[in-house]
Amino acid sequence: MNPWRSVTWTTLLAAAVLMPGSPGTAVAADIIKFGISTPLSGPAAPWGIPHKNATELIFDEINGQGGLEIGGKKYKLEVVAYDHKYVIAEGVATVNRLIAKDGVKYISVLGGAVVKANEEPVNENGVLNLPLAYAEGLVSPKNPLTFHSFPSPPETTTFWKWIKEHQPQIKRVATISPNDDTGWWSIKVETAFVEKLGYQMAGKEFFERSMTDFNPVLLRILAQKPDIISVLASPAGSVGLIIKQARELGFKGRFIHIGQVDTSVVANIAGKANVEGMWVHGYVQSPLPEKVKSWQARYTKKYGEWNATSIDFTNPAFAFVAAVKKAQSLDPKKIGEAMRTVEFDNLWGKAHFGGKDYYGVGNQIIYPMPFSEVKDGVATLVVQLSPPHN
Amino acid sequence: MTPDLLIQSTIIGLSIGSIYILMALGLTLMFGMMHIINFAHGAIYMLGAFAIYYIFSQWGVPYFAAFVLAMLLLGTFGYLVERSIYRPIKGGIEPTLVALLALTTFLQAAGYPVFGQLDKHVPPVFQGTRNVLGVMISVERLMIIPMAGALVVGLYLFINKTKMGAAMRAIEQDKEAAALQGVNVHVVNGLAFAIGFALAAASGALMAPIFKLDPMMGEQPLLKAFIIIILGGLGSIPGAILGGLMLGLIDSIVATALGAEPAFLLSFVFIILLLLFKPTGLFGYAPP
Repeated sequence: MNPWRSVTWTTLLAAAVLMPGSPGTAVAADIIKFGISTPLSGPAAPWGIPHKNATELIFDEINGQGGLEIGGKKYKLEVVAYDHKYVIAEGVATVNRLIAKDGVKYISVLGGAVVKANEEPVNENGVLNLPLAYAEGLVSPKNPLTFHSFPSPPETTTFWKWIKEHQPQIKRVATISPNDDTGWWSIKVETAFVEKLGYQMAGKEFFERSMTDFNPVLLRILAQKPDIISVLASPAGSVGLIIKQARELGFKGRFIHIGQVDTSVVANIAGKANVEGMWVHGYVQSPLPEKVKSWQARYTKKYGEWNATSIDFTNPAFAFVAAVKKAQSLDPKKIGEAMRTVEFDNLWGKAHFGGKDYYGVGNQIIYPMPFSEVKDGVATLVVQLSPPHN
Repeated sequence: MTPDLLIQSTIIGLSIGSIYILMALGLTLMFGMMHIINFAHGAIYMLGAFAIYYIFSQWGVPYFAAFVLAMLLLGTFGYLVERSIYRPIKGGIEPTLVALLALTTFLQAAGYPVFGQLDKHVPPVFQGTRNVLGVMISVERLMIIPMAGALVVGLYLFINKTKMGAAMRAIEQDKEAAALQGVNVHVVNGLAFAIGFALAAASGALMAPIFKLDPMMGEQPLLKAFIIIILGGLGSIPGAILGGLMLGLIDSIVATALGAEPAFLLSFVFIILLLLFKPTGLFGYAPP
């Protein structure tokens, strides 16, 4: 046989076996691919890395038990993750790649501006999306297969009621937030809520995510003499610089972040003493319930370094697994229908998707949300609150 | 705006402007001599900051020694870039521009696997705040002004009072004539690369304890440096100094008075207006 012909046939045969979806790949058919588009580098990486890690760890544990059973057949779960660096163009490119190239039907995208930019491809391709993102109109009847898997400002602002009751001396509130969909909507919701509670808005500023020198913005804010500064929707790196620079300019009041932020990353930048007394949602270091402690042990065993942000970022994986089990189908629409009725356990208790009264569609995750205060450098749980809508 | 706020924002503007000057000086020096725009300047700023992170913060070398080491290291790197990229290309403007862009992309992309994906932070070198004219300013910010000032004076003396500086000025005026007079153009170009890179590294090293560190941190300062050298006049060192101060003050005072977005827009409007009336910038001159 001509040696070149032999090589050609061998190559063709190998290509046929390796090509995804080819008749020879029985193994590929037993895998459920779950796409993740998240910032794995850049200022928002402290959110993106635990997002990917938490999903992978939960899937590993299910795979370790033989996989996810659907209609009597076991499926392995696989994460396909891409870094979008919190850049909208990269976010659109990675989601398109997940859908078109990787053939993924279920995704979780982090970042409000990125999720908003991907609404069209997600809806047109009938993809189930479990985002971790803040953006106006994200949870809406026009996005029927988007199930927001993290408490948003309409849920977390309820903590301001707790502040009103426990710290009545706080009167004047200033906000500083990123200059994008996420920041605008977060501040809009928070401002409406705190004004309704009788607080005075002492300043409202937006910043570009690439900003590192916050002095001019802070000088404007501090001139209005706020008692507390909300840094809602800002990533940990920016929050660290805001706090450090505000303290240098003489601000003595508190900071609050009712989105989610890793206060240990913030303290590394701002200095431990400067972060003292900060209130934060979704980040708890102590005391941890048994379930969370067990998660911490498993996470640390696999990834070496503990990241408390991973606690709440398990939600997309928990919700997806619960809904697929209930739907007993791989059809995103059927999984979406199951998502609206399934109740499942996350690391803080019972969770479900609801909020129809507020959003017009029951696609917002609801569970007892944890709020902490930084005491002696440790994010200490002060209260768990249910959202104002169910 | 209250008088206190004006004083505070002016001092902060001078501090920011000092960093801008250092960034722009290296850039304008290289342009003046070789007519190349060093797109890698932002990446070198980033490397200067990371050099401080490792040498000072991780290995415990005293800050000032680490600062000098960072400048020497990146200066040497600049000399090697001249030898390995600029010289083989034979000074072609466009090929050098593309090669330096490629170097930038490589350094930024390599930054994530080498330095890690999470932001890094250098502990403060100068702690606390000082009352200056009745307003609070962080000592870190204040210290930037004399340190950058010392480097600017050092560069001025080097260029105007040394033989090598005279050679640099000669090349800037006429490369061929300088070569005919016995100036080793390759060596002087290498030195210009080394000084340019060392100044960018100094800016990064000064900012490292104030801001957070990530591989893309040089993009914003690079943009500012471009604005400054256009404002001051391409290749003009006094122009870079004046332009840096003006932009620092605009960034601080206008941003405090009107917000960050108007300040950013205003700096561009200011440049467009200036270039309409003086297309060569404040101290630039049209080539013969």
